Amino acid sequence: MNSRDVAPQPLLNITPSGARYESVIDLERARAAHLPLHTERTEITADGNTAAAIASLQMWRCMIYPGFPITPSTKWIETVAAYVASTPGTPKRVKLLEAEHAVADYMVGAAAACRDLIFVTATSSVGLDHMTETTRSLGASGLGNVMIINVYRATANFPLCIEGDPSDTLAHRDDGFIQIVARGKQQIYDTVLQAPCLGMHPDVLTPTMPGYYGIKSSHRNARLVLEPDAAIGAFQDRWMAPCPLPGLINGDTAFGNCVTSRYFQGFKVAQKRRLERALELLPQVGADFERTFGRPGLAFFDAVGWPEKGEVDLAVVSMGPDFGTFEALRDAWAREHGMSVAGLAIRLLTPFPREAVREKLRRARAVLVVNQAHHAGRGHLTLDVADALNGLPVVPPIVSAFAGIGGADVSEATWEAMLDSGRRSLAGETLPPYQVFHEGRSL
Amino acid sequence: MKLLDPRSMMAESDLELRGDGKAGGGLVLAFQSLADLMLGDASLHVQEWPFFSSARRGANIRSFLRVSARPIQTACEVTRPGMALLMDEAAGRSVDFAEGVPPGGTFVLNTQRSPEECARHYRLSGRVFTIAGDTIGERFLKHTIGNVSTYVAMAQAIGGFTREHTVESFVKTLKKRRIPELVLQRNREALAASFDEVRSGTFDLAGPGDHAPPTFDGYGELPVGAQTSLRLSQTNRTADYARSGFRLHFSDPELKCNGCSHCITNCPEGIILWRPDPERGVLVTGADVSSYCKLCGECISVCPEHLFSEAPYEEAWEEAEVRS
Repeated sequence: MNSRDVAPQPLLNITPSGARYESVIDLERARAAHLPLHTERTEITADGNTAAAIASLQMWRCMIYPGFPITPSTKWIETVAAYVASTPGTPKRVKLLEAEHAVADYMVGAAAACRDLIFVTATSSVGLDHMTETTRSLGASGLGNVMIINVYRATANFPLCIEGDPSDTLAHRDDGFIQIVARGKQQIYDTVLQAPCLGMHPDVLTPTMPGYYGIKSSHRNARLVLEPDAAIGAFQDRWMAPCPLPGLINGDTAFGNCVTSRYFQGFKVAQKRRLERALELLPQVGADFERTFGRPGLAFFDAVGWPEKGEVDLAVVSMGPDFGTFEALRDAWAREHGMSVAGLAIRLLTPFPREAVREKLRRARAVLVVNQAHHAGRGHLTLDVADALNGLPVVPPIVSAFAGIGGADVSEATWEAMLDSGRRSLAGETLPPYQVFHEGRSL
Repeated sequence: MKLLDPRSMMAESDLELRGDGKAGGGLVLAFQSLADLMLGDASLHVQEWPFFSSARRGANIRSFLRVSARPIQTACEVTRPGMALLMDEAAGRSVDFAEGVPPGGTFVLNTQRSPEECARHYRLSGRVFTIAGDTIGERFLKHTIGNVSTYVAMAQAIGGFTREHTVESFVKTLKKRRIPELVLQRNREALAASFDEVRSGTFDLAGPGDHAPPTFDGYGELPVGAQTSLRLSQTNRTADYARSGFRLHFSDPELKCNGCSHCITNCPEGIILWRPDPERGVLVTGADVSSYCKLCGECISVCPEHLFSEAPYEEAWEEAEVRS
């Protein structure tokens, strides 16, 4: 018998932070068992769900994929399952559970047991809502090796709508996850590869929730460049030190014991500090990714049209694929109206990069914020932007717009109507607190 | 009328395509395969995506495709396509597949009819390509599915692809879906047969205002509360989800209806017609299939007297049907 076939005997090691079973997970065996999907850089055609699934499969630390299908994220688990079923010898396994709550619960146990492996699933809308009881705990748990890919879809709602609307992810801003928005196939693929580097960093230990718009991104096909598995592994290894926390935990210690008010607040302060540490580390992970693969890595936002120095007349803040339509017409619209127009497509949603957003927007004479989910007030993004601008000596006027709710098309005419609102605000016109736009008109 | 050349559109700005069909009819596969075919040219950028709702098989769906020599940032729907496909003529009953296509554009239809008949019926100005895709599908795939043939017709309409490349690109998309080799071979045969079946012509039959995109006038007063109220919306005709070519049929010449009311309580659309009856309690007299019957089959399966059935009917072909 080959010596590698003999698993090391687990040793129970009682530490002040819990019971640790040394050597239960032999990482080197896990790494050796990984069958690379790609040994060299490859270009394919793929939709967003496939891009996210391939990234999930290429990570050797991902071995078990718990999931439950829900539109529009279903193709993620279909792709993973099809690969596993058709690849003899792969150590990867799919665990189809009875509902999303069970998926989240499963990830808690598995991720707590194997803190140096990554556990990833994908869900949408009410699927994420079903997980809520557990995601709130997960966000506080220190299980940075959990990643929930959120394919945006209007959340528990009347009437039912299966299209891309970020109301699901926005309803989970306080779950304690690092939420990153991706648009375009390449950004989706790259984000899934980088997110665990951030979440599993010893200073962060916070689960991640990369996301992208359902249908508009999840079902849209385009070119996609895939990196070799070995290069992905080497990149991730640079960021993933062995987890300092106990490796296998039993019973209720997975989420810690009940505490009194004497301690609860303290735990929350620590959780928030870990989350905010992501603000320092995210640019570093992104820069390393760009050095390694030659494409832009994680960033707080995609900045478009900003001059090196000086002001712009109008800055647009939004997120998701519809920002691309703005990018496409920005130059022509700005020329036609004799204005300078720049934009920010938000990438890091939580924690919101207030400082970085403020530094950009302080150079704008007016700010147009485009929200895409139902909100009780002026819009989720609008509130974040207003918070970011708070305290500036001169706060530019904020024009708050809604468009694309429920995944509605945001046409060129709609963008032009919204930009025109920004122009009118700049001209001194008083606008309503918010406006909803569709097909080139304000409703 | 100046004809718009798809190849020039790709080179100078972008070529936008839109397809209308029914869920389960292969529209998405045809567009995905065409996207793959385009990407065989390393200089081209492509964006392809579908639009559909939570409705089941048979519902109207759309597919979009953008091709350009420049990177594509625009993400909104295609509203002024240079090329439009009608995959299923039944889908064309509730949407104008040619909406927004500029004069000189290209039209591809899965139909038994000639390009001239279609140009006259739909009032088309531009190049019109037709192919009897369902017949070819039936012959080779034992299924009336026209995606293989319409894909070939679209490739021919764009031009510049070899037959071999066209076939293999489609097969490559099928392989991604893990289709068995026997079925792949049948598809190859259907593809090969399609090349010589495409008919085309150039016509200028659109009148002023035909196919103009509608103006959005707001949402109006939407119902509050139960979702069934949405049925009352004139634009939410669930009958459009029904299988093409079939309609619910009710026949009770001998008054066998026993008044059990199962059909009334099980119909999700509330379209069963009945009247009070002193002996039975209720007597079912039929069903209003005009707008909301989606052929779910509930009434057929619950009726103890087998009074309901699915019956084939000829699609109406009315010259005045085109909407503008």
